Amino acid sequence: MIRVGKIVIRCVPVSKGVSEGEALVTSQPMCLYDSLDPKSGRIVNKRHELYGECVSGRILFFPYGIGSSTSAATILEASRCKKAPNAIVNLETEPIIAVGALLAERLYGRIIPIVHRPEIDPAEVIKHHSVRVNADVGLIEVLGHGRDAAHVKANNA
Amino acid sequence: MLDGEYGEGYEIAMSVLVKLGDIYGADRMLKVENVHIDGAAYGWINDSGLELIGKLASSGARFRVPATLNPSSIDFDMWQELKIPSHVARKQLRLAKALKRMGGTPTWTCAPYQYGADLRFGQKVAWGESNAVGFANTVVGARTERLGDLADVCAAVAGEYPNFGLYLDENRRGQVLFEPDRLDVDAFDSTDYGVLGFFVGSIAKARVPVVSGMPEKATTDQLKSFCAAAAVGGSVALCHLCGITPWAKTVAEAFRGSKPEEKIIIEAGELDQARQKLSTANEEPPEVICIGCPHCSVQELVKVARLIKGRRVEDSVRFLVFTSRAAKTLASEMGAVETIESSGGRVIADTCWNFIPSKAETLMTDSVKMAWTSLGKFTNVALGSIEKCVDVAAGTMPRG
Repeated sequence: MIRVGKIVIRCVPVSKGVSEGEALVTSQPMCLYDSLDPKSGRIVNKRHELYGECVSGRILFFPYGIGSSTSAATILEASRCKKAPNAIVNLETEPIIAVGALLAERLYGRIIPIVHRPEIDPAEVIKHHSVRVNADVGLIEVLGHGRDAAHVKANNA
Repeated sequence: MLDGEYGEGYEIAMSVLVKLGDIYGADRMLKVENVHIDGAAYGWINDSGLELIGKLASSGARFRVPATLNPSSIDFDMWQELKIPSHVARKQLRLAKALKRMGGTPTWTCAPYQYGADLRFGQKVAWGESNAVGFANTVVGARTERLGDLADVCAAVAGEYPNFGLYLDENRRGQVLFEPDRLDVDAFDSTDYGVLGFFVGSIAKARVPVVSGMPEKATTDQLKSFCAAAAVGGSVALCHLCGITPWAKTVAEAFRGSKPEEKIIIEAGELDQARQKLSTANEEPPEVICIGCPHCSVQELVKVARLIKGRRVEDSVRFLVFTSRAAKTLASEMGAVETIESSGGRVIADTCWNFIPSKAETLMTDSVKMAWTSLGKFTNVALGSIEKCVDVAAGTMPRG
């Protein structure tokens, strides 16, 4: 649903929590195990279009996960190293990703809000924007252009 | 169990699994008969995984059901010779101790369905490792979701997993139909089965594929190659191979009354295109030749030995064969390991190529799974049958 003045996309919550940051968006599916270096938060898979980007502190959108079941451990390790994304948005979140977030909360008390099944494909809407993911109710809110992120954060602090 | 009366380890495992079940709409927790633990390598689960497993073990948690273990980061007998960093080996040894203390069966293999695990039709199990999940569902007709690393450890501690996904009939129904057109599947070797699996996976993605007209005589090793490749080509955790999958003897049975969402005719040309995607175009000779992804069976070790006997691996090539400890032990008694090693090859157990330190830039393998997952890491990747790999290793045939 798109409201005047403020873009809000309804989704289904996976994990819990609320977080915001600049959206890092890809239309390519992703295997976090072979794409994300949990120690630096960087995308290290040269074949992925996000190669070289850092997920840490950002809202990561990829349509769905592929490949290795080790991705659960990758999320947990990124969380331990404080390099996990602030939140994850998928068209469909695999249980493998969800388990990583559940363990991160249980083991380190770190919350990674995750939402999926958005009512529209959010890729183009959130790209380069600062967004807030509310996984308690299942909402993505577009807060402003990416460069406004710091300003938005300050207002919400 | 959730209230912690069985100790903190049980409470952690159960609470994570119950939450996972809530997210995915499970109506209940399901008792599983056994677990295959993917996250048994320090190199894959890192310090946080080691911390979790250490915590479970020291809290007194024990596996309630038999649990086999996926490859470790080291060959327990020869990690020093393979130049595994000692801090990695130390942490792997700690991890191994904790897993064994909880009751894990030290199979250290990605093909536990060949040695170590018990599987039968209709049985509910909780497995990690994509090729093994595919094999359990596709070839045996057991039922398992594809477990994430560490969720598998939790499942072994709980002896249960939430009832969702591939445990449910409605999610096991076929969705995409593949019909081979004049393909000589009877003449396919294991690598060809891998290419077929990769093609099917890359089109099916997360949907359940059905392949008609598969020959009943397909070997376990060929089906192993198919399942591994289908899992990396898409996210295939179950593929109905009509004639092989027990739940789907016919196409109608595989679709359970629903219609295929899509129908794909597979022609030889398309498999050739898929095969081309699995190797790089340049023709530099391989510095490393790897066989055994997933792990070689005894029969595959015997085959490599038969092919290499009386020949010599070229000095410029590292020829590595990966297998389980169980298969290596049996093949050793048959003389196969000695034949391979006296020809200049190495038979490595308990672990996989991912953990072997190497500066090599060029690779050849018989494995579609390995070729695909190596493309971003090597400048040059070549795919060929076991026969071709041995020929190239022995310098009696140009690559390609």
